[in-house]
Amino acid sequence: MATSTDPDDRPLVEAAQADPRRFVELYERYVNRVYAFAARRVGNRAAAEDVTSEVFERALANLRRFEWRGSPFVAWLFRIAANVIADRWKELAHEAFDAPADEAVSYDDDVERRAIVFQLVDRLPDVQRRVIEMRFVEGKSIRDVAEALQRSEGAVKQLQLRALENLRKSMGHHG
Amino acid sequence: MADALIDRLNRTVDALLANGDASAALADAELAPLARLAADLRHCPDPAFKARLRAQLERRTTMIQALEMTQIREGFTTVTPYVRVSEPGLAEFLSTVFGAVETSRTSGPGGGVHREMRVGDSMLMIGEDPTQGVMPIRPAAFHVHVPDVDAAFERAVSAGAESMGAPEDRHYGERAGFVRDRFGNHWYIATWSSNMRPPEGVRTVMPFLHPPEASKYIDFLKAAFGAVEEERHDLPNGLVIHARLRIGNAQIELGEPDPPRPMPSGFYLYVGDADVVYEQAIAAGATSLWAPRDEWYGDRVGAVQDAMGNQWFIAQPA
Repeated sequence: MATSTDPDDRPLVEAAQADPRRFVELYERYVNRVYAFAARRVGNRAAAEDVTSEVFERALANLRRFEWRGSPFVAWLFRIAANVIADRWKELAHEAFDAPADEAVSYDDDVERRAIVFQLVDRLPDVQRRVIEMRFVEGKSIRDVAEALQRSEGAVKQLQLRALENLRKSMGHHG
Repeated sequence: MADALIDRLNRTVDALLANGDASAALADAELAPLARLAADLRHCPDPAFKARLRAQLERRTTMIQALEMTQIREGFTTVTPYVRVSEPGLAEFLSTVFGAVETSRTSGPGGGVHREMRVGDSMLMIGEDPTQGVMPIRPAAFHVHVPDVDAAFERAVSAGAESMGAPEDRHYGERAGFVRDRFGNHWYIATWSSNMRPPEGVRTVMPFLHPPEASKYIDFLKAAFGAVEEERHDLPNGLVIHARLRIGNAQIELGEPDPPRPMPSGFYLYVGDADVVYEQAIAAGATSLWAPRDEWYGDRVGAVQDAMGNQWFIAQPA
């Protein structure tokens, strides 16, 4: 489950176990991956946000129980996410439902790739990032984005293209 | 003349946003890699959501830090039940039934007596005061684990308690019997079944609350005191039949009776920063009894009352 891009997170995890205020740094490091994992498995944005919130709440509550057993920290977060999703299914189904076993916490390239894309969006020039957020997160039309940014529709389309080309180039560097 | 890439891309994004389908773009070699990225971007998290969650986690970590104590009196945990009675007798009852040991007795300036009792690995505070004062005298409920429930139940009844249910093997992994002492406190006396391993963090005496609308009350405890659910069982109708919550390094239990039977009581809460926890409790909906102040006995204490009527004495050890 670990990827070659996993940083050495042990010092940070141990720092957060000693001082919970450092947990926010773990959140910043992993929020995109947990969200990508959740979004891949649940149907909509609201559910992905609920699952992501619950994962970090549970992780914070149980951080001191986390023990290093050879798996990276993010694997623990994904396992929590799988349990949260299973719990939600149980609530929806109102019937017995076997929680997925650890092996069922499948990790795939889509999750990893999307998490990198989400991270790279944060590093785009401000105006390109805003165009991406308004188009893809808020679902705004080109006309609405143009109005909000007080630019022409052609300029917004150009910014959208540049943003995606920048993301493609940056993804190339992530190999 | 063919469309420029800028327009082909925009049409692809429109199609993705409308119906999630960008397959038409995959045949276009120039457009396909951008279309694949656009498909991923449809799942991009909302930055406002990420900022909200971050702020929420920051508040919780501040609370966890504020709850943590660098120094705590020997034997105490974050939550100590504070039982109020109008006359002496409860300490003797606890000694007779559970082998409790009095570790401290102090006469207050108002004439009342403050006692601290050790029961197994747990501590209880008892306030004996014939006057109501700021804290009304109200009975509380406790879940007590003993080595032999039948013997403890007999001792309780012999000491004047009223049976609320003789010891029986219960479906939840305990042999348990229930009594009400002459002050009205409920004692749910239990011995673990031989095949049952006590959950981590469960102590000899567990305060047991009976809040109406327990689900809302659990949310309050989370917001006010950083409570964490260790165990929870809900009925399909929404009643919480049993929950075990961790607050700091202590645990409490609760169960929602039907019909409601609230027994609000008092708790002494040892924390690392009384001012922060007090403010958080108020922000979560508790009512102030008094703001944190330095008490004559050394602790800095603020007090609040929650919607169920429980009183929380938020204390920072001297």
